[in-house]
Amino acid sequence: MMAIRELKVCLLGDTGVGKSSIVCRFVQDHFDHNISPTIGASFMTKTVPCGNELHKFLIWDTAGQERFHSLAPMYYRGSAAAVIVYDITKQDSFHTLKKWVKELKEHGPENIVMAIAGNKCDLSDIREVPMKDAKEYAESIGAIVVETSAKNAINVEELFQAISRQIPPLETYENGDSGTIKLGKQTAQTTRKCC
Amino acid sequence: MKSANEDREGLVPGSSNMLPEEKIKDAGSSSDYVIRDVSPCPEDWENADLKPGQETPKKKLCGYLYKCSPKASIRTWKSRWFSYDENKCHLLYYRTAQDINPLGSIEISIASFDLKVGADEGIFEIRTPIKDFILKAINKQAMMYWLQQLQLKRWEFCNNQAKGFVEAVSSFPSIDEAQWSNTEAEHDFLPLVKTPTDDVVGIKAASLPAPSTSIALQNISLKHPWIEIQNTVHNLCGSRQNRRDSSGNFVGNQDNLENIADEEHLRGETEDTVMAEMQKDTKMRLKPPTLRKFKKANSSFRYFVEGAEQEKIASLQHQVLILTEEVKSQKELVKLLHKALEAAQQEKRESCKYLVTATEEDRLELLRHKVRQIAELNKQVQVLEMEKKELEQEVALKEEHIKELREHVQILMDKNQAKQQVILKLTEQLTREMHDPVTEADSITAETLYKQQEEIEHLKDDLEAYKTQNQFLNSEVHQVTKIWSTVAQREKTLLMKCAHLQAHNCQIESKYLMFLRTLQSLPDLAKEHMALVKGLIEEALQWDMKEETVIPIQLSPVNQYDDYGFMTVPEYEAADWKLLSKIQALEIKCSNLNKETTEKSLSERWNNLGELTPSSELKSLLRCGVPMAHRQRVWKWIISHRVKQMRSAGHYHNLLKKCEVAEHPASQQIELDLHRTLPNNRHFMSPTSQFIPKLRRVLLAFSWQNPTIGYCQGLNRLAAIALLILEEEEEAFWCLVHITKNLMPQDYYSNTLIGSQVDQRVFKDILSEKLPRLTAHLEQLQIDLSLVTFNWFLVVFVDSLVSDLLFRVWDAFLYEGAKVIFRYALAIFKYNEEAILKIQDNLEFYQYLRFFTKTICDGRKLMSIAFSDMNPFPMKLLQNRRGVHRLEVEAELRELEQLKAQYVREQAEHAASHLDGAASEDEEEI
Repeated sequence: MMAIRELKVCLLGDTGVGKSSIVCRFVQDHFDHNISPTIGASFMTKTVPCGNELHKFLIWDTAGQERFHSLAPMYYRGSAAAVIVYDITKQDSFHTLKKWVKELKEHGPENIVMAIAGNKCDLSDIREVPMKDAKEYAESIGAIVVETSAKNAINVEELFQAISRQIPPLETYENGDSGTIKLGKQTAQTTRKCC
Repeated sequence: MKSANEDREGLVPGSSNMLPEEKIKDAGSSSDYVIRDVSPCPEDWENADLKPGQETPKKKLCGYLYKCSPKASIRTWKSRWFSYDENKCHLLYYRTAQDINPLGSIEISIASFDLKVGADEGIFEIRTPIKDFILKAINKQAMMYWLQQLQLKRWEFCNNQAKGFVEAVSSFPSIDEAQWSNTEAEHDFLPLVKTPTDDVVGIKAASLPAPSTSIALQNISLKHPWIEIQNTVHNLCGSRQNRRDSSGNFVGNQDNLENIADEEHLRGETEDTVMAEMQKDTKMRLKPPTLRKFKKANSSFRYFVEGAEQEKIASLQHQVLILTEEVKSQKELVKLLHKALEAAQQEKRESCKYLVTATEEDRLELLRHKVRQIAELNKQVQVLEMEKKELEQEVALKEEHIKELREHVQILMDKNQAKQQVILKLTEQLTREMHDPVTEADSITAETLYKQQEEIEHLKDDLEAYKTQNQFLNSEVHQVTKIWSTVAQREKTLLMKCAHLQAHNCQIESKYLMFLRTLQSLPDLAKEHMALVKGLIEEALQWDMKEETVIPIQLSPVNQYDDYGFMTVPEYEAADWKLLSKIQALEIKCSNLNKETTEKSLSERWNNLGELTPSSELKSLLRCGVPMAHRQRVWKWIISHRVKQMRSAGHYHNLLKKCEVAEHPASQQIELDLHRTLPNNRHFMSPTSQFIPKLRRVLLAFSWQNPTIGYCQGLNRLAAIALLILEEEEEAFWCLVHITKNLMPQDYYSNTLIGSQVDQRVFKDILSEKLPRLTAHLEQLQIDLSLVTFNWFLVVFVDSLVSDLLFRVWDAFLYEGAKVIFRYALAIFKYNEEAILKIQDNLEFYQYLRFFTKTICDGRKLMSIAFSDMNPFPMKLLQNRRGVHRLEVEAELRELEQLKAQYVREQAEHAASHLDGAASEDEEEI
C-alpha cells in the first residue's frame, strides 16, 4: 500500500477570478458558471498519485473580497502550498496577486510552495495580463506558473501535479518544520497563534 | 245520406273523437275494457315495476312533471315520469310511469336547484355541471315539494357518502360529528312543504294517466327513438295481463303520425291482431324504418277510402238539392197548368152555353150581356186607376214629408253634437279647475284608483312570489353550503391522509436508502452482494424520475423546488452524496408533510392574530415560524416597526438617483456577485431573472446608505432572501438596513469584519459552556469551528440550512436579533452532537461540516433545542463576552498592522539597496 501524504493547500486571489471553480474542476471535474461567492472558506479533498506516494490534497478555498483577507492566515497557516489565482482578463487581479505573494512571504509558512494560476485562459482574446509578465514575476519569486481554464479544464490537473512534484519528498522533511503534514493527525501547530 | 253515415261507422267501430288519455279517464264511467288492468294497487306497482327489491317502506319520490326541451327556440313542454333512484342519487325520467328504460337521468348529488320569479307557476330548474333542466310541476305546492325532497335526497346522499368515508378513515378525528346530523336549521329558511295530497306525486301518480298534451307528437322524445321503441316493446311483451292496456299505450306511443281512427281500429282488434302487432314490433326492432313506412302507407290508404266516401256524400247531397228544386219548379208549372186548365174549362163551358142557345136572339142577348159586362169592367178599371193615382200622389206627399223630417233630424243631430262638444269643453275646463293643488286628492278619478288597486294587487302577487323564491334560494344556499363544507372537510381529511401516507412512504424510503448506504459501506461484503446493493442504489436514485412521469406532479415524492424556489435536492456531484442528499430530501419532505398535518393550529393562531403588536406571544409565535401566507406581512411589519425613525418617504429613490449619477467603488464587486447569488434558487438562477436588477439596485443603494460597509460579500445573500419574501425592493433595502443597523453589532460587515471575528470567539466560549463534551472532542481533533461558523453568522445561515428552517430562523432573527443566531448555531451542534462525537478524524469532520447543516430537517426539534435547551442565555452574557473579545481582537489587529508596517519599512530599505521593485510597496494593506 502506498503511503498517503496529506497536503494542505490554500487558494488565494482576488474575488471572482475563479478560485472555487478551479477547486471544483479539480475535485469534481465539474464547472458551474455561477458558484456562490465563498464566504469565510470552503474545504475539499482530493487524492492524486505522485511517484510512489499518494498525495491527499486538503484544499482550503478562501473568500476573495479584500475585507476577508484578515481571515486568510487561518487558512494559509500550516499550508504546504498556496495557489494564488488571478484572472488574465483583469489587470487588477494580477495586482492583488502580488499583494498575496507579499503577505505569504511576510506571514506564511517558510517553505510554502507557491503556484501562480492565470485563470480564464479560454478568454485570451480579451486578455489584459500578458503571459510574459506572469512568467517573469513567477521566476522572480520562484513560483510555479500556469495559465488555466476551469471552464475548459485546461491545466488544472497539471497545476496540482506540478505542486505535487514541488513538494519535497517525505524523508527529507521528516524533521523539518515546514507546513507539510505527516500521515497522522499532526497538523502543523507551529504557526498556530500567528494573528 | 243515412247509408253513407252507416258506412263510416262500419269502418270505425265504436268510434268517438276522444284522445286516448281522455278515453282512459272516462273509463271508470263508461266501463270500457281498456281500464281494467291499468290501475292496480300502488304496492303492486312498487313491487312489480318501479322498485324491485326495495325493502324500506319509505315514500318514493316520483311523479309526472313537464320537461322543457331546451333546444327548440320555442319552449315546448313534454310530460315525463320522474323517479328518484336512491342508490345512485339520480333523478331518472321516463316517458310514462310504465316504461322500464329511462330517457335520461339527472345527477342530483352534484346539482343545484333554482326557481325564477318571472316564470309560470310551477317552473323550476335543476342545474348540473353537465346540463340544465327546466321542469314544471302541476302547481306551486308540487314544485316546492319536489324541490325540497330533492334537496333532502341530495343531502342524504352526500351525508351517507361522507359518513361512509369517515368510518373508513376514523383514525382522523378532526371531523366534527355534529356536522353530519342534518340540522333543523334549514326549516328556518323554508318550512317543510306538505306532500301534495292529490296524488300529483308519488307512486299513485303512476296509475294516473300522463297529463295530456295538445298534440301527441310533442310528447314523444325524438332524441331517444331507441329507448322509446324499447319501452314500447317492453310494455307490449312484459305483462300479458296488461296487454290490452299496453296496446292502448302502444297506439299512443307508436302512432303519433296516425290519426285517431287508426288507433281505435287497432284497439278494436282481437288478441290475434295484438299478437300480430307485437310481431310487427319485433320486426320493427330489426328494421324500424321499413316498418314505419308500412305504417304510413297503411294509414294513408285509410285516408283515401274515407275521402272517396265523403266526396260521394257531398255529390249526392248536391244532387238531392238540385232535384228538390226541380220538383218545386215542376209543382209550380203544374199549378199554372191547373189554372190554365180551369180557364180553358170555363171558356169551354161558356162556349158550350153559347153553342147550346138555340136562337139568334138569345145569342145576341148573350153577346150584349157580355159587352155590358166588358164596359162595366172597363169602368171598374178606370176607377181603380184613379184610385191608384191618388195613392201615388199621397205616396209622393209622404215622401216629401219624410225628407223634411230627415232634414230636421240632421239639424237636431248637429245641434246635439255641438252641444256635446260644449259639454266636453266645459268638463275639461272643470277638471282642469278641479286639478288645482288644493284638491289634488279628489282629482284621482275612480278609474285611476281602480288601476292602482290592480297594480297593488299585482305587486302583492309579485311580492309573494319573491318571498317564496327568496325562501327557497336561502334554503338552497344553506343546503349547498352545507354540502360544500362536508365535501371540503372530506377533501381535507383525504389530503391529510394522503400527506400522512406520503410522509410514511418518504420515511420508509429514506430508511431503505439509509440501510443501503450502510450496507454499501460494510467492508466485508461479498462481491455479488456488493453488486446487488449498487444496483439497488442506482435504482433508488432513479425513482424520482419514474414516479414523476406516472403520478401527477402534485403527488410526486420530492419536488425539485420548494415553495420559495430553492432546490430541494442539492446537486452533490459525488455519487455517495447523491444518496445522502436523496435521503435528506426525503426526510425533509417527510417532516414537511407531517408538519402540514400538525401545524394547522399554528396557522389558525396566525389567522386570529390580526393587528400585530410587540408582545411575548408574538415572540413565541415568531420562534415557531411564520406560515408562508403571513410571512411577508409579518416581516414588513417588523422592519417598518424597527426602522421607523430612519425611514423617510423618498429616501430609497434618492439613493437610487445617486447611484445613477456616480459610481460607487463597490459597484464592480456587486456586479460580479449578482449572478452568483443563491445559485440553487430558481428565482435567481436565470440571468434574465427580474430579481437580478432588483438585487443590484438594493445593494447599490445600500452601499451609498452605509459607506462604512459599502458592500460586503454576503450582503447579496441577505438582500436576496429579503427580496424573496418581501418582493418589493425598497422593503428589502430597509430589511438590509435593519439587519446591519439594529440586529448586528457594529463593524460586522465593515472593512475588518471585526464584529464577526469577535462573535466567533464569543461563540467558541459559549459552546464550551453549553456543550462541554463536544468542545473537548473538537479540541482533541484540533478543529477550529470558526472555519464554518463564520459563514453562518455573517449570512445568517443562508445556503447552510434548508429553506424551511432558514426562514424559521429568520422569523425569530428579524424580531429578536443576533442572539437567535447563537441559539441556532448551538442548537445545530447539539442536534448533531452524537454524530459528531463518533467522528474520530479531523478530515472526516471537515467533510461532515460541509453538508451536515442541510441534513437537519426536524425544525421543531431544532427550535426547541435553540430556545429551551440552550437556556439560560442572558443578553448580558453575550454583551460582556463581546466586550472582552473585542478588545482582544482590536489589540491583535493593531499588532498585525504594526508588523506589516514594519515589514513594509524593511522592504523599502531592502528595495532601496536593490534594483528590483517588483511589488508595489506604496500600497496600504488594511
